[in-house]
Amino acid sequence: MSGPMEQFQIKVLRPIEANGYDLSFTNSSLWMAIALGVVAIFMFVGTMRPQLVPGRWQAAVEYLYDFVRNMVDETVGPEGKRFAPLIFSVFIFVLACNLLGLIPWVGAFTPTSHIAVTLGLAAIVFGIVCIVGFALHGFKFFKLFWPAGSGVLLGAFVFVIEFLSFLSRPFTLAIRLFANMTAGHVLLKVFGTFVVTLGSFQALPYVFGVLPLAVNVALAALEVLIAVVQAYVFALLASLYLNDAINLH
Amino acid sequence: MPQFDFANVFLPQFVWLVGFFALLYFGIVKLTLPKLGKVIDTREGKVRSDILGAEAAKAESDKMAADYAAGIAAARDDARAVLTAAKAKSAKSVETKLAKAGGKTDAMIDDAETRIAAARGAAMGEIEAVAAEAAQAIVTKLTGLQPAKSDAQAAVKSAMAA
Repeated sequence: MSGPMEQFQIKVLRPIEANGYDLSFTNSSLWMAIALGVVAIFMFVGTMRPQLVPGRWQAAVEYLYDFVRNMVDETVGPEGKRFAPLIFSVFIFVLACNLLGLIPWVGAFTPTSHIAVTLGLAAIVFGIVCIVGFALHGFKFFKLFWPAGSGVLLGAFVFVIEFLSFLSRPFTLAIRLFANMTAGHVLLKVFGTFVVTLGSFQALPYVFGVLPLAVNVALAALEVLIAVVQAYVFALLASLYLNDAINLH
Repeated sequence: MPQFDFANVFLPQFVWLVGFFALLYFGIVKLTLPKLGKVIDTREGKVRSDILGAEAAKAESDKMAADYAAGIAAARDDARAVLTAAKAKSAKSVETKLAKAGGKTDAMIDDAETRIAAARGAAMGEIEAVAAEAAQAIVTKLTGLQPAKSDAQAAVKSAMAA
């Protein structure tokens, strides 16, 4: 029987190498591509013929877009409007990866359970936040780390702390998502293993497997919730960081 | 954990992620969301203009209702004024008619009174003449003397005056 960590194994589907760097198309890439395809179908069908009175697909896309737009509006304000598509992209990508990875039987892989992917996403967000901050404020962007109205000594001390916390943001952002996804999938796998081992108990077959199975059903529902919530948290934090870059304090 | 096998796992995933995310942002979201945004803006504009139109229509209907009420009030005032005027006019005409009729009656009464007075004078004269003749005849019968007409007349006059 496979261990609970085996589901996170990267399998190279098509080895690609460029200049000595390994850029292989892996199962992670495949499931990112599938997520992208699902998102593409969702988006293109939903906006094929935009109408004043939306149909079902359009209403679904509009619902998500409205959700993200309101979130950005609340956290950033009116200047954040042009970043709504970006936050929307982050949100829907994480959401699609999280949810598709939960599909059983088909050998689904969850790209967001890999710190490489979550850190990559966090780096994209962090990079955009830095670019936006410096583009809008220049070197005044560093005022973000300086506490207003404090002495030089205290100010410098807080500056260092704030700067370090700013630098740690992409890592906390990445690890939060990665840890949530990994933990959920490990739990599902562990209880799935319990179902098999307890269910094949010699004396009373199938009887003891029922309990971990029930737990797994509940866990699956919880994981769907976590998949959505973590996508939301990721997008929300991204827009909060963007707010720092746009409005400073 | 396979996730921490950074040397083998990190680069391919990172590169594919960046590629896919760029594709997602520029190839999918940027192509579709603006269409939706336009529709949402149009819808909001339409709803806003509809609300404004409804408000304008309501203001108009309110104004019309106020106009109507004012018109009713004005008409009622007019009617009342006309009624008052007609009442006054009719009262006046009755008064004048009464006055006219009163004058005519007075004249008729006066006329009748003068005629009555004349008739009475004439009757008195006749009575005097008849009395004088009667007195003459009575005296003649009693005494055999015929008194003068003028004496008889004077005697009648003094008797009647008494």
